[in-house]
Amino acid sequence: MPVSIQFRQALGKLVLPALILVACGVILLGKADRGLIEKLRMNTADLLAPAYGLVAWPQEKLRWVSGNLQDIRNLEAENIRLRAENASLRHWYDVAAALADENATLKANLHWIPDNAPTFVSGRVVRDTSGLYARAVLLSLNPDTAVRKGGIALDGAGLVGRVTEVGRRSARVLLITDSSSRLPVTLESSHAAAIMAGDNSALPRIIFYPQDNVPIEGERVVTNGEIESLPAGLPVGHVHYLRPGQPVVVPAADLDHVDMLRVFDYEDSVVPPDAPGRVPLPAGGGTMPLPAHPDQGLHG
Amino acid sequence: MKTFTPPPIRPGIHPRSGLGYRIDHGVRSSVPFLFVFFATLVLSAPLNLPGQVELMPAIIMATIFLWSVFVPVLMPSLAVFVLGIWADILSFGPAGVMLLMMLIVHGVALSGRYTLARVNFFVLWLVFGVVMVGVTALQWVLCCALALHIVEFLPFVFETVLAFGSFPVLYTGFVWTYRFVVNNADRA
Repeated sequence: MPVSIQFRQALGKLVLPALILVACGVILLGKADRGLIEKLRMNTADLLAPAYGLVAWPQEKLRWVSGNLQDIRNLEAENIRLRAENASLRHWYDVAAALADENATLKANLHWIPDNAPTFVSGRVVRDTSGLYARAVLLSLNPDTAVRKGGIALDGAGLVGRVTEVGRRSARVLLITDSSSRLPVTLESSHAAAIMAGDNSALPRIIFYPQDNVPIEGERVVTNGEIESLPAGLPVGHVHYLRPGQPVVVPAADLDHVDMLRVFDYEDSVVPPDAPGRVPLPAGGGTMPLPAHPDQGLHG
Repeated sequence: MKTFTPPPIRPGIHPRSGLGYRIDHGVRSSVPFLFVFFATLVLSAPLNLPGQVELMPAIIMATIFLWSVFVPVLMPSLAVFVLGIWADILSFGPAGVMLLMMLIVHGVALSGRYTLARVNFFVLWLVFGVVMVGVTALQWVLCCALALHIVEFLPFVFETVLAFGSFPVLYTGFVWTYRFVVNNADRA
């Protein structure tokens, strides 16, 4: 189609403003329909996950070799330290064995019903998707494994985060240090409940703790069974005071170098009963019959 | 209607027009696009470089700025748009913000290119720094608005400083690429 040069020039000038408008549209779309953007990103990450794994592999080997070299250098000091630690651990082993026996006896006496053992899936961290304003990692997973949104990610030492998006071959784990992460925790010695709030720094803050029961420096922090899919008693870290009145959690997990994660599925571990605390209505849709003698009351 | 073909400017000398020439020319012309494309891809990989997250916007913005000022034919608005979408997919930030920043940098460079292409390098550097400050401030405001709370300011300052600092290196790379890769088709 022949068009005049002037018209073509005018059209050319309109391209950039139109594209900027489209970009604003994309921002609004991303806000309105998060699912679409997340799906697109997870599909791309799925495609790239093998390549990312290929990049991560030599780095891991290199770190292993350099770690080995360092170990060789401090072999003697390490040996001495380990011997001392071993002696102390042997004592704790005896204590733990005695306590486990006692615990088993007590549970047998109480007819304790054990919790179901949770299933877990292990995955390699292929990419740190932490941006300027998020702390998250991408896990590469076998396509056959079933990882659900809300799964709990732990490393060898403690809680790492929660699964927020699941692709076919990868899953994104929001770390506990992310600024949108809020988890109910229990402070183990003072038995106080609190909220651990991430703020994108390495040490998440402790907020909403009881004012008459302040966190104690160094006490262990474990998860609290307040929310579904997160059981009570998972180790999180210990309390540390940056300055008076500002307690933070030092995470037990090594969040700077997460290599392998286990994603546990605690879904429907605790099912709340229907309508707790309500008196059931009699069948037939009638109203509750009043007690014959008011002085006997409902409990009579 | 008979089509009008202009007479050759220098009779007897014509550019080569075979398939090989066209492929060669096409690849040379797409070097800026491919550079940004692969820089985005590589910097999104888990390289564990310090400041890797902030380096990606810095390299993208400086490259787009330079090519839009000096050779806008090789960095058209549509290419910037495609690269913006690509960077947004790989970066896990709020959707569309990187895209908007890239288009704004491109637009500023394009509208001021008759002045900017003639100024001293240091002036160009300064102008880029000012543009980067503005764009990063916009990014921060948008991130705050989309996240509905104040996000930390320091990473954005770091991003700006990194972009400002890496500009001379990218400028050298740009000059070298333009002189020996893009504009060297006939001598190769």
